[in-house]
Amino acid sequence: MSNTNTKDTSSLLTIKDLHASVEEKNILKGLNLEVKPGEVHAIMGPNGAGKSTMGYVLSGREGYSVEQGSAVLDGVDILDLEAEERARAGLFLAFQYPVEIPGVSNLEFLKASVDAQREARGEEAVSSADFLKLAKAACKQVNLPLAFLKRGVNEGFSGGEKKRNEIMQMLLLQPKVCILDETDSGLDIDALQVVAEGVNSQRSNDRSFVVVTHYQRLLDYIKPDFVHVLADGKIVKSGDASLALELEAQGYAWLQPSDEEGQNA
Amino acid sequence: MSEWLNQAITQAQGVSDWLSPKRDLALSALADIRWPTRKTEAWKYTSLRPVEKFSKEAPAAFTSTSTLTQIQGFECLDLVFENGQFVTDLAALTLPEGLSIQLASQADASKQAEVLAKFSSIKPERHVFGLLNDALVQDVLVIEVADNVSVAPAIRLTSILGLAAQAHTRVLVVLGEHAKLTVSEHYQGNEESLNTGFVEYEIGADARLEHYRFALQTGKAVSLGGSHFQLAERADLNSTLVGFGSDLSRVDVDMVHAGENAFAKMNAFYLLDGKELFDLHATVEHAVPHGTTEENIRIIAADQAKAVFNGRIHIHRDAQKTLAELNNRNLLMSNKAEINTKPELEIYADDVRCAHGATVAEIDKKALYYMQSRGISRAKAQVMLNFGFINELIDQMPNQELAEWLRPQMREKFSQMEVK
Repeated sequence: MSNTNTKDTSSLLTIKDLHASVEEKNILKGLNLEVKPGEVHAIMGPNGAGKSTMGYVLSGREGYSVEQGSAVLDGVDILDLEAEERARAGLFLAFQYPVEIPGVSNLEFLKASVDAQREARGEEAVSSADFLKLAKAACKQVNLPLAFLKRGVNEGFSGGEKKRNEIMQMLLLQPKVCILDETDSGLDIDALQVVAEGVNSQRSNDRSFVVVTHYQRLLDYIKPDFVHVLADGKIVKSGDASLALELEAQGYAWLQPSDEEGQNA
Repeated sequence: MSEWLNQAITQAQGVSDWLSPKRDLALSALADIRWPTRKTEAWKYTSLRPVEKFSKEAPAAFTSTSTLTQIQGFECLDLVFENGQFVTDLAALTLPEGLSIQLASQADASKQAEVLAKFSSIKPERHVFGLLNDALVQDVLVIEVADNVSVAPAIRLTSILGLAAQAHTRVLVVLGEHAKLTVSEHYQGNEESLNTGFVEYEIGADARLEHYRFALQTGKAVSLGGSHFQLAERADLNSTLVGFGSDLSRVDVDMVHAGENAFAKMNAFYLLDGKELFDLHATVEHAVPHGTTEENIRIIAADQAKAVFNGRIHIHRDAQKTLAELNNRNLLMSNKAEINTKPELEIYADDVRCAHGATVAEIDKKALYYMQSRGISRAKAQVMLNFGFINELIDQMPNQELAEWLRPQMREKFSQMEVK
C-alpha cells in the first residue's frame, strides 16, 4: 500500500512493545502494531489472547495498567490521556458488550458525544435540530427504528441492536481509528451485513480500522488488508487476508507449543 | 401542643353539618393526641416547627404567583382549589358519560351517607394532620366512574395556595368495576401557607387507575397531605409521586390490597436542594392473598436538604402468595445533605416473596467509562448519569405528555444543584 500522507509515511496508529496488565495479571506482553491511514487490520486469536484487553487499554478503561510501551495515534501519545481525550484525539472503540444506561436517552448521549468532540476541535456545536437530522440519517443507515433514539442508551436493546448502535455512534463521531471489538459476536447474518456495510461506508484514505474477531466470517464482508494472530499478549503471525482463511481451516491448535510453560497439557 | 392546633380545633368545634359525625370523631381523637415531637417515631426526622410558627391570620382574598399549569397535549378536566376553596363551576363542565363529579354538600342524603361511610375508611389510623383534615374539611369532592367506563380525558386536581392560606381539601374517587381513569394531583405554590390535601381512591374490581401526585410546593409552603388507595380484586394501580421539597412537605401514601390478585405499582422520586425537606411515608397493607406490589423510590438530595422515606409493607397472616418489592436508591450530592430511609417489611404469612433494599447509589463505573470513551468529560458524564437516575422513572410514566412537561422542570432544577 502506498501512503502519500503529508506527515512523512506516518501511520495513524503505532503500538510499540505494549505491556499491560489487569489485576496484576500480565495480558499484553509486547504488542506491536502499525496501522497506516486507510488500512484495515484484522486481529484474530484464541480466547484469552488479549484481544479485548488491547481495545480497553488503548481506550483508557480504568483498572488496566500499562507497564511499558507506547501507543501513538496520529502523532499523539495517547496512553497518558484520559479516556475522553483519547476519543477526542480520534479513537473509537466499538464495544463487544455495549453498556446500558437507563435514564440517559440515546439521542442525548449521541449529542453530548458529538458536542464534546467538536468543542475539543474548536468547532461550533451543532444545533439540536440539525443534530436530530444527522442522528436520524445514521439511525436509518444502520437499520434501527427511529424510536431507538429516544430510548435509554442500549436499554433493552438486543445484542444485534446494541452492535448497530455502536456503528451508529461511529458514523456520527467520524473517528480516525476505529477498533471493532468482536462486533460480529452474537449477530445473525442480516445484522452482520448491516454492520459491515456501515463500516465499509466509512472506509477512506484517512481512516483506519482494527477489526478484532474470533471468526473469519466477518472478514468476508469487511476485507482486511492485513491479518494478525494475537496469542499470549503479542502478535505471533501476520499476513494478508488469506491468513484468516488458513486460521479458519486450522484453528489455533498450532499455537499451543508457544503457550506459557506450565499452562500445560 | 401547638397553639395553631388549638386554634384550629376551636374553629372546627362550632361547625354543624352533614360531616359532623366524622368531625366529632376527629375532634375527640385530636383532644387525646399528643403533638408529635422529634421523639415521635413517625416524625423523628421531620420537624414541625414550620407548622408551629404558622401565622394564623387568614388572607382576605386569594392571591398567588402560581397559576394553573399549561401542559402541552395533556387532555384533562380541570378541578381547581384556590386556598382550599373549590372554584370550578361544575355546571359548566361537559362530562363524558359514566363520569360524575359533585360536591357532597350538594348531593342528596343517601349520597352523603355513602360518602360518610367511605370517609377515612382506607386509612383509619389517622395521624395528627389526617385528623386535622377530617376535622377541618368543609366538603368532599366526589368523583365517580361507573362500571365498565373508560374515561378518556384525565382528571387534574390542582390545589394552589396563596400567602397565609390554609387549605384542608378532601376528594373521594370511586372507580366502578372494569372502569379506567387517570387522575393527576397538582400541589403548587411557594408562599407561606399550609395545606392538608387528602384524596381517597376506591378502585373497583378489574378497574385501572393511573395516578400522579405532583407535590411541587416549594419555599415556605407547608404541605401535609396524602393519597390513599384501596384495591379490589384484580384492580390495577399505577402511581407516580414526584416531590420537590419545601420548609416542610410530607406525603402519606397508603395502598390497601382489599381484593385478591390486585397489582399496585408506585414510582416516587424527589429532588431536593437548599434546606428543603420532603418526607414520604408509604404504607402497603396486604390483607388478602395473591397481591402484588412494586415500589421504586429514588431520591437526590443536594446542599443541606433532608429527605425522609419510610416504606412499610405489612403482609397479613392470610395474605399468602403475596409478591412485594420495594426498591429505594438514593444519591447524596453534598456531605451536608441527609437522606433518612427506612424500609420496613412486616410479614405474618409464610408463603410470600418479598424483597426490599435501600442503597446509596454509586455512579456506575462502566457507564462512566462508556460515556468517556465517546469523548464526554467525566464531569459531564456524571451529571448525565445522576439526572438519568431520576429520568429513568420519568421515562416510566405512562402519560407521555406529563413526562414531557415534567422532564425539563426536573432538568432545570437538577442543573442548579451543585455537587459539594
